[in-house]
Amino acid sequence: MHTLTADVAIIGGGAAGCYAALNLQRRGLKPLIICKGLVGKSGASLFAGNLVISGRLLGNTEAQARNTAEFLIKYHNQFLIDQEWARRCGAWIEQVYYPELEELGLYFRRDDEGNVVTSPGAIRSVAANVQGNSGVPFMDLRRKQVIRAGIPRLEETVATALVRNDDGNIGGVFCLNIMTGEYVVVRARAIVLATGYSDRLHKRSTGTREMSADGLAMAWRAGATMVNMEMQWWHTNDIADPPTWQRMQVYPNPMLGSEKSARMVNSAGEEFFNQQNDDPLAFGPYTVQLKALVKQVHAGKARYDGGYYAGFDNCDASEVETYTTYGKTFRQLGLRFPEQLVETAVTSHYRQGGIDVDTATMCSSIPGLYAAGGVSGHSNGLIGLATYDGKVVSDGIAAAFDSLTDRPIPGSECEAERRRLEKLRSRSGGGVSPAKVKEKLRKLMWDKVGVEKNAAGMRSALDDIEEIRLDILPDMAISAQSPVANYEWLDAIDVMNMVEVCELIVHSSLERKESRGPFIRTDFPATDNRNWLVANVLKKSGNGLRFEQRPYQLPFFSPGFDVRDNLQVAW
Amino acid sequence: MLDTQTSPRDGASRLGQDEHDDTLSARNSRFAPGASLVVRVRREENGRTRYDTFNVPYRKWMRVLDALNWIAENAATDLAYRWICGSKMCGTCAVRMNGREVLACWEAVEPEMTIEPLRNLPVIRDLVVDRAPFENKAARLEPWIERPVAYQGFPEPLSHKQMKDASKALDCIGCMCCYSACPVIGLGDLTDFAGPAPLVQLGQTALDPRNSPAKVARSLALTGIFNCVSCYKCEEVCPAAIPIVSRVIEPLKAKAAQLVPEMAGHARALRRIVAARGRVDPGALVLSVQGLRALARLPRIVRLFLRGKINPVRTLFGTKTVAAEPARRLLGREVPR
Repeated sequence: MHTLTADVAIIGGGAAGCYAALNLQRRGLKPLIICKGLVGKSGASLFAGNLVISGRLLGNTEAQARNTAEFLIKYHNQFLIDQEWARRCGAWIEQVYYPELEELGLYFRRDDEGNVVTSPGAIRSVAANVQGNSGVPFMDLRRKQVIRAGIPRLEETVATALVRNDDGNIGGVFCLNIMTGEYVVVRARAIVLATGYSDRLHKRSTGTREMSADGLAMAWRAGATMVNMEMQWWHTNDIADPPTWQRMQVYPNPMLGSEKSARMVNSAGEEFFNQQNDDPLAFGPYTVQLKALVKQVHAGKARYDGGYYAGFDNCDASEVETYTTYGKTFRQLGLRFPEQLVETAVTSHYRQGGIDVDTATMCSSIPGLYAAGGVSGHSNGLIGLATYDGKVVSDGIAAAFDSLTDRPIPGSECEAERRRLEKLRSRSGGGVSPAKVKEKLRKLMWDKVGVEKNAAGMRSALDDIEEIRLDILPDMAISAQSPVANYEWLDAIDVMNMVEVCELIVHSSLERKESRGPFIRTDFPATDNRNWLVANVLKKSGNGLRFEQRPYQLPFFSPGFDVRDNLQVAW
Repeated sequence: MLDTQTSPRDGASRLGQDEHDDTLSARNSRFAPGASLVVRVRREENGRTRYDTFNVPYRKWMRVLDALNWIAENAATDLAYRWICGSKMCGTCAVRMNGREVLACWEAVEPEMTIEPLRNLPVIRDLVVDRAPFENKAARLEPWIERPVAYQGFPEPLSHKQMKDASKALDCIGCMCCYSACPVIGLGDLTDFAGPAPLVQLGQTALDPRNSPAKVARSLALTGIFNCVSCYKCEEVCPAAIPIVSRVIEPLKAKAAQLVPEMAGHARALRRIVAARGRVDPGALVLSVQGLRALARLPRIVRLFLRGKINPVRTLFGTKTVAAEPARRLLGREVPR
């Protein structure tokens, strides 16, 4: 076990974490990035398909600028968002984000005449090199910036616990290098959780291999307040087979250089969703699509795990493939493109909620502990928003830096965590494997806390989770004890976090007694702005938890109704 | 006739695919429901290696990664293999399947598969390789932009025509398939060749017109790029379908010849000789590239002579061929001295 020291330890190497690290370094502080995968290659940032144009950039009209803001607040966050934060974020994206990225060399796709190619319509977007793949060059650029700046990286290293210093404050991170099995303690004055919003907690999930809600679990154990944990977003048209491709999407958004977009067809061959025709304002139409699908499922013409189709048979191949990657998926499966559609299914995607933060600084309820990007609970995702969080958190830390203490971490604190991890690795024998526990947990979340849920199902889910916690986890065993690249051991560490966070999600879902956007309860089908246009705040109390409500201010946009059947609400 | 169901890649890489039932549509329809596949996996830990065999039930449109996931969940829970995104973006799941490099999340399974780790990189355990040699080489080339003139504000003047080659390189996901397939990298320390993957990483910015030529020259000088033998192995295995030789390495070689001419001694000499004589003259090439140093390797020279590779008489006294005039017309003006 060895100890590293930094001014700020950042957990996560996606859009928020990288930007925070770069900005802190520019301000003269010493950041260090801990990344469970590889910086710029892990998490959801890589999946950015395109980049939304905010404000009056690239000839956006006043109406298009307003549409973009309205879309973000309404369709993207169902009004559960600090609208003042959204306004600041939009202004920053317009004035700083785009020029800064281009100055660094990001290639915003041009045509041969030199015009930046955009998607037309009520809300416009651009792509980095190619639509559908924008996150790859975007995050590759960040990775190289981090390397160029000489910011230390602990890659393929999992943060397993926040540790307390001798003042009793959170002052470090306990880590395990997955490749070598070595333990590392990072001591820092401030810690940023930037672990993303796409945790793999459901049977079908866009969350990647490493996303097991570690950030949320560590923050909760440390006593941080959570918010809106129930607000789960879904993709409605991800590839049904094979399982690996559950996060491969038939993008429903407007396409660059075309007036058309993908269409969705039920098992009877009837079209039931086409963004450009059905709801031009729903730029990322995920909630609108989901509601359209729920109606198909009710009519017996689709299932949540398949039996409906998506594709581009309304387009020419060249229209789709000039600026997008969308045709490649079809071709790789041996399908004729664009004539053939592909079977699709629902996949759990972003979680809107997360760690409760002060949106001016991104500080959590615990001094010195910050959260940026998707793991925080103030907004739903978009790579620009996550990047803005990286800026806000670095500014927040720099401003508060002199008041943050730097104290030694007692050996006993680290020793306890080391023993916990060693115990997970040394348990062999006939018990259930961590991979099977993950499968069981994901299945129960899918079956009982899926697209449509109700109190009875969720109480039963809590019973199942309790059974896993009490009967299965104590017997969980792994087959190899090597400390080197032992992914089974990592699975065992992951499972502990997943169980904890799934439980919080179910409790939060039971607490919100309404339906709102993608949060659909069959026992409370109405969107209830009178009682539930509030943050569903979750706090630790003793060994249990309690909820509080905090209303949202509505300075720019408001829903315009009190109570209405959620499936009849556009957003 | 080219089958529209196969990859959009044209040309030589598809030759024989139809005849060998190896088109994408054939690869995706080899199995009947309920079939199972035989998967042999190379296991390695602490220098000990073995091959384990598994019967894996087929699932619709199964990828190689699905098969590995099935094995790790059901048969060998201690199997070490790396993957992050599962959708051709992170580039961390590349392995060799039946001897060729594939991205596990992207490639369709075969009825019988032998899965091995990538070559040319140290194995950490089982299928997990150490990415550091590739990462360090790429970082050493400083694959970023230094602007010779100040940025003019968004959006700056730039067209896709200018970005055509760089844009291809920007599809790179750093999966190292090409690095594993490259025979020159396979020679180890015998050359100073950076390898295809680091060159593609460099190409993203070195082929970008916004980059400073001085910066590009500095990076190119570290690449050993003229060790590339243009065998197209890299291009053949690239899951992102980047034309690595024709759109990245060749344009970079041209840039190197222009910006760092001393790197291109061999290529420039060859061109000069062809322009002057209308034919390749190996003897002249040896003399031109090695000069008097050639004499220090006399036994080798003798061997080349005995095998008919060089002909000193022809080199010293040989006349131009009829092709000299057209060759000069085509090449002469452009040969930098």
